[in-house]
Amino acid sequence: MMPYWTDAFGNPASLGHFYGWEAQAAVQQARETIAAAINAQPDEIVFTSGATEANNLAIKGVAEAYLQRGRHLITVMTEHRAVLEPCAYLETLGFKVTYLPVQADGRLELTQLSTAIRADTILVSVMAANNEIGVLQPLAEIGYICRSHQVLFHTDAAQALGKIPLDVEALSVDLMSLTAHKLYGPKGIGALYVRRRQPRVQLAPQLHGGGQEQGRRAGTLYTPQVVGFSVAVQLSLERLESETVQLQQLRDRLWQQLQTLSGVVLNGHPHHRLAGNLNITIADVDGAALLLVLQPTVALSSGSACSQHQPSHVLLALGHSAEQAKASLRFGLGRSNTITQVDHVAQVLIEAVRSLRQNSVYS
Amino acid sequence: MQIYLDHSATTPPHPDVVMRMQQIAQNDWGNASSLHQWGDRAALVLETARMQVAQLLNAPDPETIIFTSGGTEADNWALLGITRQYTTPQHLIISAVEHPAIAATADWLATQGWAVTQLPVNGQGQVSPESLEAALCPETVLVSVIYGQSEVGTIQPIQTLTQITQRHGALFHTDAVQGVGHVPIDVQALGVDLLSISAHKFYAPQGVGALYVRPGLELQPLLWGGGQERGWRSGTQAIGLVGGFGVAAELALANLDAEQLRLSQLRDRFFRLLADEPRLQPTGSQQSRLPHHVSFCLPQAPEEVTGRTLVRQLKLASIASSAGSACHGGQANPSPVLQAMGYSKAIARTGIRFSLGRQTIAADIDWTVLVLRQILNRLGVK
Repeated sequence: MMPYWTDAFGNPASLGHFYGWEAQAAVQQARETIAAAINAQPDEIVFTSGATEANNLAIKGVAEAYLQRGRHLITVMTEHRAVLEPCAYLETLGFKVTYLPVQADGRLELTQLSTAIRADTILVSVMAANNEIGVLQPLAEIGYICRSHQVLFHTDAAQALGKIPLDVEALSVDLMSLTAHKLYGPKGIGALYVRRRQPRVQLAPQLHGGGQEQGRRAGTLYTPQVVGFSVAVQLSLERLESETVQLQQLRDRLWQQLQTLSGVVLNGHPHHRLAGNLNITIADVDGAALLLVLQPTVALSSGSACSQHQPSHVLLALGHSAEQAKASLRFGLGRSNTITQVDHVAQVLIEAVRSLRQNSVYS
Repeated sequence: MQIYLDHSATTPPHPDVVMRMQQIAQNDWGNASSLHQWGDRAALVLETARMQVAQLLNAPDPETIIFTSGGTEADNWALLGITRQYTTPQHLIISAVEHPAIAATADWLATQGWAVTQLPVNGQGQVSPESLEAALCPETVLVSVIYGQSEVGTIQPIQTLTQITQRHGALFHTDAVQGVGHVPIDVQALGVDLLSISAHKFYAPQGVGALYVRPGLELQPLLWGGGQERGWRSGTQAIGLVGGFGVAAELALANLDAEQLRLSQLRDRFFRLLADEPRLQPTGSQQSRLPHHVSFCLPQAPEEVTGRTLVRQLKLASIASSAGSACHGGQANPSPVLQAMGYSKAIARTGIRFSLGRQTIAADIDWTVLVLRQILNRLGVK
């Protein structure tokens, strides 16, 4: 990012002078890199301010463009709020939205999807990897079902990019939301993949203005952010396999140690999940108190960073009670974590749970 | 030697801004919504920046500043956030010289059944209070008039327009993207309900901006999701950009008066040096004008010579200028702004803009004027 902070600061839309040209070339190269990462074409990538905007653009943009064809959308109860909230907004405008339940392991049951598709369904939105429980949805199967019903398929791949292989052709995905900051890139930049061929997706722009991004998203792009995004994608792809193995080993090691505690349950499918994700519910312990004790040692969360004060809607969808949902922890392991750290965290956590249980009303 | 005179398109980030962004990228990269220390540090960056931006605008409360992905989003949000609260289409007033982020959003609203009035401007690009008074009707819910025009530099009488609008019970928004950081802007003195800011017009990075929302005003979100920015604007905040924005706001406030004076003197020097040049006619208001903005048209130019011709020639001389606003850079269409000011279609193709900045010095102006005259001679402009 740094060279573009200072030397090549031009507005990529300023084609009249050298500053703008240099910025534009860098953006174009980044567009090619990111497109290649998901087996798309560069002109199918629309840069946005992040995954929230990409999800909003996909859902509201498709709804507005296909208004005449139908007003029914399908999504899943465990989606990120950046998908659920735009859907709720569309409901206020008279659209109908079906929120599919998930199985106890967090995965969508495909027959439920097939049954839910109606003649007036215009879009199915199912996330690639869940942000709380890391569960991977069967995208290829979902894509196949959507394609055979001629319904557009959007996937929020914010958590999946750079962590699992994504191929919009193999998965029959029509729209895909991406973000940089979940894979070691900067915050404030993301993209929406919008299929241009077979089928050509119509999208009503949600930001009107200078006509950047081929009229699909107005606003000046920030070159360093775009470049940082593409470098992060490239680095993640290069390391995808080795890092997956490394994270999986760390996560399994952590899980193995935590299982020595009684009353600990893994949330989400044991195998169809992100390598770095571990989400557990610990019985007979106050979740808030536990987080407080852990805080000096380890940064983790009880759910999504955006909604820390309510019980997780994802865990509720798995069948947990509000109480159980609150006593849940999400570990998001990353590139810099080590075996020593994992062992230390496991030890501290086990001690904390034991001590809390001893002093608690539950025992 | 390269001379950058396109600061209205974007500005080179200030070294202090770059340093801050670098610090944040390395140390304070957390998610501001997370409850742990990394989240706390990011939240501190965020709230510090919010305070710095609030101070630049003399906003009554830092919470009136909502961060966005830039001026375009702020403009879209101001218009859509107000109008989408109505189930049936009402009346919207904008000026004829708005940035596309406002004009295109108003166009979209028109397709949804909204009545949209475009206030005319005079030859200097100014809206008259009388025309606003005449356009306001009981159905008018919002008036949006640009603060400082990006192509011709004219500053609108925002305070007067706001008073008239509010007397009629409507809300007032101004796109102050070109003004903030260059002229003193006091949202309380202006009395505006909504005001759009873009960071990269005053030495902060692109991709971040803000909307000032007057306390107590109801606004529908444009981006729905995790409920960041107190539910007003979802999406993980771009902490590095926001931190840079804050530093730039503080620097702008500290240097505002001195820099405004220095730039307006350079601007006047530019106009003065070309006062005897009949081939270049200044556009926009000379009295009520952005301090860093110089613009001309070519009243006598042959048809094949447009503003873009000059921009390209100047580029060969390593001088960066602009024909119209950068977003239109790809098109050779006549400028809607110049046409609204009464220029013919032919002349409206010949607009050229030089926008000065903190590193611009008198020698840059003198050299540019010299080069400009030579280009006009070479092109055979009479």
